[in-house]
Parts: sequence; structure tokens; C-alpha cells
Amino acid sequence: MNKIAKPVMSTGKGTHQAAFDEWQQNYHALIGEDKPVRNRSGIKVEPLYWPSDDPDGAYNEKLGFPGADPMTRGIYPTMHRGRTWSQRQLIGLGRPVDFNGRIKKILASGASALSIIPCNSVYRGIDCDEVEPEILGTCGTIINTEEDMDICLADIPIDEISIGLNDPSPFTMLAQMLVVAEKRGIDWKKVTGTSNQSDYISHFVANHMFYRLSLQGARRVQLDTAAYLAEHVPNWNAFSIVGQHMQQAGATPAQAMGLTLSTAIQYAEDCKARGMDPEKFLERFTFFFDISISFFEEVAKFRAGRRIWNRLVSDRFGVTNPRAKRFKFHAQTSGCDLTRQQPLNNIARVTIQAMAGILGGLQSMHTDGYDEVLSTPTEDSAKVAVSTQNILKHEAHLCDVIDPLGGSYYVESLTDAMEVEILNVIAEIDAEGGMFKAVESGFVQEMIGASALEFQDQVDSGEQIVVGVNAFKEDEDASARPFLKRPSQVHMKQQVEQLKKIKAARDPALLNNALQELRQAARSEDINVFAAEIDAVRAGATLGEIVKVLRDELGFGQPLVVA
Amino acid sequence: MQDQTAEKPGLLARLLAGQTAALARAISIVERDGPTVSALLKAIQPHLGRAIVVGFTGPPGAGKSTLVNAFIGEMRGRGRTVAVAAVDPSSPITGGAVLGDRIRMAEHTMDAGVFIRSLASRGHLGGLSASAARVADLMDAAGFDVIVLETVGAGQSEVEMAEMADVRIVISAPGLGDDVQAIKAGILEIADILVVNKSDLPLAKRTVGQLQAMLALRAPGDWKVPVLATNAVDRTGLCELADAVDHRAATRKMKGPRDALGGRTRRLLAQSVAKYAEHRVLNDTCATIDAVVSDLQQAGIGLDDAITKVLMRLCESQDNG
Amino acid sequence: MNDVLLAPARVLVTKIGLDGHDRGSRIIAAYLRDAGMEVIYTNPWQAIDAVVALALEEDVDVIGISSLATDHLLVPKLMVALDAAGLGHVRVVVGGIVPDEDEANLLAAGVSKVFHPGAVREDIVTEVERLAIAASNERPLD
Repeated sequence: MNKIAKPVMSTGKGTHQAAFDEWQQNYHALIGEDKPVRNRSGIKVEPLYWPSDDPDGAYNEKLGFPGADPMTRGIYPTMHRGRTWSQRQLIGLGRPVDFNGRIKKILASGASALSIIPCNSVYRGIDCDEVEPEILGTCGTIINTEEDMDICLADIPIDEISIGLNDPSPFTMLAQMLVVAEKRGIDWKKVTGTSNQSDYISHFVANHMFYRLSLQGARRVQLDTAAYLAEHVPNWNAFSIVGQHMQQAGATPAQAMGLTLSTAIQYAEDCKARGMDPEKFLERFTFFFDISISFFEEVAKFRAGRRIWNRLVSDRFGVTNPRAKRFKFHAQTSGCDLTRQQPLNNIARVTIQAMAGILGGLQSMHTDGYDEVLSTPTEDSAKVAVSTQNILKHEAHLCDVIDPLGGSYYVESLTDAMEVEILNVIAEIDAEGGMFKAVESGFVQEMIGASALEFQDQVDSGEQIVVGVNAFKEDEDASARPFLKRPSQVHMKQQVEQLKKIKAARDPALLNNALQELRQAARSEDINVFAAEIDAVRAGATLGEIVKVLRDELGFGQPLVVA
Repeated sequence: MQDQTAEKPGLLARLLAGQTAALARAISIVERDGPTVSALLKAIQPHLGRAIVVGFTGPPGAGKSTLVNAFIGEMRGRGRTVAVAAVDPSSPITGGAVLGDRIRMAEHTMDAGVFIRSLASRGHLGGLSASAARVADLMDAAGFDVIVLETVGAGQSEVEMAEMADVRIVISAPGLGDDVQAIKAGILEIADILVVNKSDLPLAKRTVGQLQAMLALRAPGDWKVPVLATNAVDRTGLCELADAVDHRAATRKMKGPRDALGGRTRRLLAQSVAKYAEHRVLNDTCATIDAVVSDLQQAGIGLDDAITKVLMRLCESQDNG
Repeated sequence: MNDVLLAPARVLVTKIGLDGHDRGSRIIAAYLRDAGMEVIYTNPWQAIDAVVALALEEDVDVIGISSLATDHLLVPKLMVALDAAGLGHVRVVVGGIVPDEDEANLLAAGVSKVFHPGAVREDIVTEVERLAIAASNERPLD
């Protein structure tokens, strides 16, 4: 430990005041008009950063060593030099059998975890036989039944691979997967993974497609599910708190981080109120963020968020368990920065975004296909996205040093400034009575809407240059763009027929009884809804049937539209 | 296109038959103030006075649109048809508006017995739009049983709604800060029914009590203003609200000819006269008016005299013209 | 024929199908409002029939459909339904992620314009205003 050199940042400015003054003079003489620069979070960015006046002691307090409080430099002692991040590519197309074929290829090409993206109709909680056929299976896999899930995961060792499910409340895909595991004789205690879309607050605010049940209803189901999993599937992360939707909806990086942490505070308080132990349940909290192309800002966002969360859980929840203070996060490169114009440029953008995430210390990552802004990603673009991660990992040697940007005058200063901004947002939400109330009243939606409009104005005015959009434009040959393969209408028809067959083959008495039990569970405060849901899946209930019962009893998820 | 219009019955006939498309088009004609407005309004005059016009006003955040939504549901349950004119503010700078009231009424979109029209205030003060009175008349003529006017709800005195509606509902919600104070200052006087919405909130009972205490201070009239607690989400108190609306409408009708209809007509007349005078004063090239302006500018004449002179001049020229 | 509008243009900004991302539709609503238009704004997931009912009751000039996923594939059905309801004069624009081969289909189905990511405020506002004038001129007088 003592061998690590004294950090440069702690050298006083006083010793080189004269040299600094000289530089400043030369700078002003040469620069001409020095336009003020602000990052997306509104923080003023100076032309140069130099050793600050911080006393030496601040290093341990503000940065510390990897794995030790306040974990600014990383949540594990080894970070990427030990175990690199998981490559978690989100894919899904058409039928379960199509998904299975593609995921096997992706696992073979180096991905170390799998994620399932269902069809938009699944997100809306509707079975495929009730959806307009044109839009079926175009964005993800149709998973309505336990049989569908079984086909998705055919030949895949559920107990040996970490699984991410894009599965909003009431978590039907998780229920289906657990029943599949049960039938294969797999011990639920060996099942690991994350409910990636469990954050109903973020759906209410910024991604209405995932928003199925009313706020109150989703809160109830989430707590029941967390309690059930803690007991029966202890290695499953019930909570993934999502900043991605809010940042994509227009929140600045600082706002997105602040609002996400406020959401996490809300969930932690809810769990605590239910009698769960923060030392335990906080171990299983994970986060999910968007990585924009604002490179240094994103690095600072992640470093500041890690430090704030580490301190916050001990200050607010009295947590001492180091595992419960770790800010574990998955991140996805932002589709919002990608352009339709000159789409191959998006490979460069995704690379920069991915670097910001890696240098920010993420645990798991999805890189976008370069054609995402044109259509649902094609197989070719998904391959490039996986290769991008492999190149960064193995060719660029980004994993050799832990927190390699730590100690950069700029990055440390920016981390501090982002921390202040993020804490301001958290304080604002506290003043509104917490995240639940702040979204109920529309406060958060208005904040995000205003930021979205402001950013768009910067692009429109040319203040923010976007290559190929408002600068460096080129005439393009549209036919050179990647060709999109839509799921075949024949296949979609087959899938609908298949569902009808499965539905017809069920024991109606058993099914009705299970759905009635689910209804009872929703009505009674004392019966665990998620346990009843698993029983319903065992009895053959479909996604649509389960969601309908819960919408009837717990309320339809009607978004608060703030125009 | 021309042939089709020739074959189908005229707008008036279709409006009186209650056709949605005709009502929608008639409202647009009135809103755009086209040349046919005058004839249209004259033609529907004999068909007015059947509907109950109910005004909903209250400060932002009281849940007006959500309550209107629940009220529509309650009235539909009673077999009545409902038309709603929901007014949102226009930007004073650009004139644009985002009209979002009907988001809360989405469940009635496909119900043929419900017609909802979003109106922008277009710079009109007083909580409604300039055309609201005429829109209400068109809805009445189209045969709707209940017409709802939902005001902008800027929290000011919304007297205009008072003159147009048979039944005036003023909505407040617990925990809106000094909303009770706001009501006391302005719109308590116009209320036929006071509603404390969001009755599940902890302060609801207290707000009801405060309003009752305030009403107790007023001189007793022939209508005792009820204070109702509602929850638009689970529909608590909606039955009582609908009963109170019907009761109030009946007592006002018993008093004789529709005083609210008279109020609507009178307001329409006042607006039209003012608009006519404004147009003439601003645009006419006329020695008399020029002289009045000049006298007024040099303080040779008082404003009262100036008004009289201008009105006389306008009457003369109308006779001549 | 008028080449200006006598009253603010009325535009329905909505989303059909399954997706619920509303960043785009909110920004467009603000653009059009700031350009002096009256925007009727709705929840996502509108059924085709509901969009027709809204357009009819609100007597709009233009309908803007925002689509991030593949919900634009339903727009040809909307065009047929609008015609059947006597709303052939209403102009429809689609904005969002629309692949080129789909754009051709939408235009063939009667959509007036498809806006892609990167479209700027001025172009959107100018085009919607132009379409509103055209719709207004074709709107049956009764």
C-alpha cells in the first residue's frame, strides 16, 4: 500500500503560482473570444485544471482505495484487472426458437451473460393473439407462456449463467423462468441474475411502455416479489434501479443519477418499512444507466454516484456491511446519441460511450448496434457491438489499471462538481417528500421535460454539433443502409396458433382456480402476490391472463402525461 | 366532393340531429368566426335551453379534469348524454396551447354519448374562451343532456362561467396551501356546490369544515350551498355530486325562464358589441372619431363624453350604411 | 384558397400501438405550441378508432404520430379509417424511427411527411403549418 505514489492532485497550487499566471496570460492572448463551455449537466468547464489546494488527507476521504469506502475508484479491490465486466447483449427477435438460435451464437462469440428482451406486446401485458399482427415480434421475442420461456432457454444452463430479464412488474417472465428451472430439476438457489426492469417508478416517469400496473399496485407487487425472492431465490437481484429511461427522456446525466439514487432511497425505505433488513436487501440492489457520449461527464457521473451511494446507505440506513455499500451497475450505450445520417459513424460513438462506461467502473454492459436508430438492430450490427467490447477489453488494454482516470485534475474536479449537482437533485426530491410523491405530482416529469427541450434547442441552434445532422452533412444513398429483416408473417401466425393450442390444452378448472387464487392474493394484504403468480404459471396461465387479473385488482398503469 | 355535400343534409339539420361530425364542424366555424356564424347561431336559437349547463372551476392541482371524467361516468350511468368544453390557457406570447384536459377523460373517447372538445382560451380572460358561450349553445342544440364547461382554473374569479352555467361547481383539494383563502377571496360567491376533491388525503375533513364555516357566515339565500367530499379516482361522492347538480338545476328552472341561458345570450351580445366597436374605432377613417381621439389626447374632453360621442357616431354610420 | 390560417392550426399529437416513449411527442408538442398552434395531446397506446374519434371531435387539421418502435406499421390502417370517417382532408405526419422501405409504404398510403431523428424545429414547424393550411382549405365547409 505505502508504495503507491502520493497523488499529484494534493500538491498545492501555491508552489507554481508564477508559472500559472504566465500560462493564463498567454492563454488569453491567444484564444481570442473564449466562449464559456458547459457540459450537459450545466457544469461550467474550465480550459485547464491544475493541482488543487486540497490537503493530503482528502485522498482517503474522497477517493480511497478500490473496494474501500467511499469506493469512488471502484467497488472491488481488483476491478476490471481481476474480473472484467459482463457482456450482456440485449437481443430478441420474433419467436422463442429464433431467440434461442441467436443467443447460442452470441454466447459462442464471447458474451458471458444473457438477457431476454420480449416483444413490445409482452411489455404491454398482452398475449400475441390480441395484438395487431403487423407489430408482433418486431422488437423482441414473444413470450406468453412457460412453454415459450422453455424454448427460449433450450440447451442453456440456467444455473450456470447470469440471466437478465427485461421484465417489468408483475414479473411474469421471472415466474415463467422459475417454473422452467423447477421442471428441469434446477435448484432455485443456483439461479442468478437480475430483474432488469423492476423499477416501476422509472416506467411511470419515462418509459410508459413498461408501465403496466398503477403506482400503488406496482409498489405492492414489487415488495411481495422482493420478499419472496429473498427467501426462495436468494441470488436473484429483485431490484434494478434504472436511470436509463430518465436520461433517454431528457434528464441531464446529473439529474438522471440524482433521480435514480432518490428512487433507490424510496425502494430501500419501502423495504425497510416492510421489515426487511437493509444490511441484506441492499446487497442485492443493482443499478442500470445510460452512457451518453459526453465522455468525461459520464465517467464523473459514475464515480460521483458510486461515492454518494456508498456514503448515503450508511448515513440514511446505518449500513455497515461493505457488500451492501457497493454501487453495482449495468450500463447501456445511449441510443439517443446515434444518428440516422451516416450510420456507420455510430460505431465510433458507441465505442466512445462504452469507454466512458468502462472507465467509470461498470460491472456489466450492453453496446448498441449502429443501426438502432434506423430499425431494430440487425444481426450484423449486433456482432459489431459485441466485437467493440472485445476490442476495448483485449486490444485497447482498458482493464490493466484500476480507475485509470483517477487523479486527473479534470476528472477529480468534475467528479466533485457532479457530486454537488447530484446531491442538489436528491435534496430537491427529498423536499418533495421522496421520489414516489415527486413523480405522483409530476414534479420529476416537468424537470425532465424542460431539460429535453433545452438540449434539443442546443442541437437545433448548432450550439451542440452532431456530425452528419447539423454539421458535416453529406448526401447519402439510402439504399446503402442496412437492410432490415422483419419477422415473417407466417411465423407470427404460427406463434399465435401455437398459443391457441397451448391455451386449449390446459385444465380449465385448475387454471381458473389458480387465477382466482391470484385475484384473492391481490385483494388481501396478507397473501404474497408473486407466490400466487408462480402457481398461476404452473397451472398454465399466460402473461395476458396474469396481467389482466392484477390490472383489475391493483389498477391499470395510467401514465401521468405532462405536456 | 361537391356532389357529396349536395346530397347530404345541411350542417344545421345534422347538428340538430346530434351528429358528432356536424357538432365538431359547427364549433370550428364558431371558433374561426367565419361569415356563416351569425346565421347558424340564429337558426339554433329556438332549440336552446334543454340541457343543463354545469361549470367546473377551481385552482390548478385540484383535479378538475379527473373529477369531470368521473362526473361524465356518473351521468352516463344515469343514461344521460354529456358534452364537455374543456378550456386550457393559450400562451400570451405565441398564441399556442397544449390542450391536455381530455387525457384524463380518455375512457369516454369511444362513447357516442359523450362529446369532448378542447378549447384554447386565445387570450380571453375570465377562465373560458371567447367562443365558450356559443360552443355551449351548439352542444345544447345538438341535444346533449348535460354540458360541462371546464375552466382554465387560474384561481381567479371566474365570473364568466357563473353567468353561463346553470350549476356552478367550485373545486378545491386539501393540501393546496392557501386554496381555501383563494376561494374566499374570489369564487366562493359564485358556487352553487363546493367540492373538496381527493377526499382520501388527510386534510380533507378539515378543508370541508373550513368551507362550511365560511358558508355559515353568509346571509342565507334560497339555495343552501352543499360542501361535498369526492374522490374522483375511486368515485366516492360522485353520486351525491350528480344529485346535487340535478337538484340545483331543477330549483333554477322552477324560478322561471332559464336565467343562465339569458346570461349566456347577454354575454354573447356584450362581447359582440365590444368587438364591433373596437374594430370600427381602430380601423375606420372618419373625421368624427379622429376629432374625439385628438380631443381626448389634449384633455379637451373626458372619457365619458368621448365614449358617448363615439357610440353615437357608430350608430349614425350604421343607419347610413 | 387561403395561404394563411384564419385561426391557430389544430394538431393532434399522439402515439398508436404498443410503445410508450414520449420524449419525441412532448418535444414536438412544445415546438408546435411555441409556433402558435393548438395541440391536442393524448396518452400513448391509442387505438386507430380512438385517433379517428379524437380527430373528428377536435376537428383537427393535422395528426402527428410519434413512433419509436414499429408502431408506424399501423399507420396505413389509420389512413383508411380517416377516409372512411370523412376526414380525408386531415394531413398525417409520422415522426420517429422509420426505416426507408417503410417510409415509402407510408407515403404511398397517404401520409404527408415522415420526420426522422435529426429533423429540426424549423423544418417541422414549417411543414406542419403548410399542411394545416392545405387541410384547412380542403375541409368541407359544413
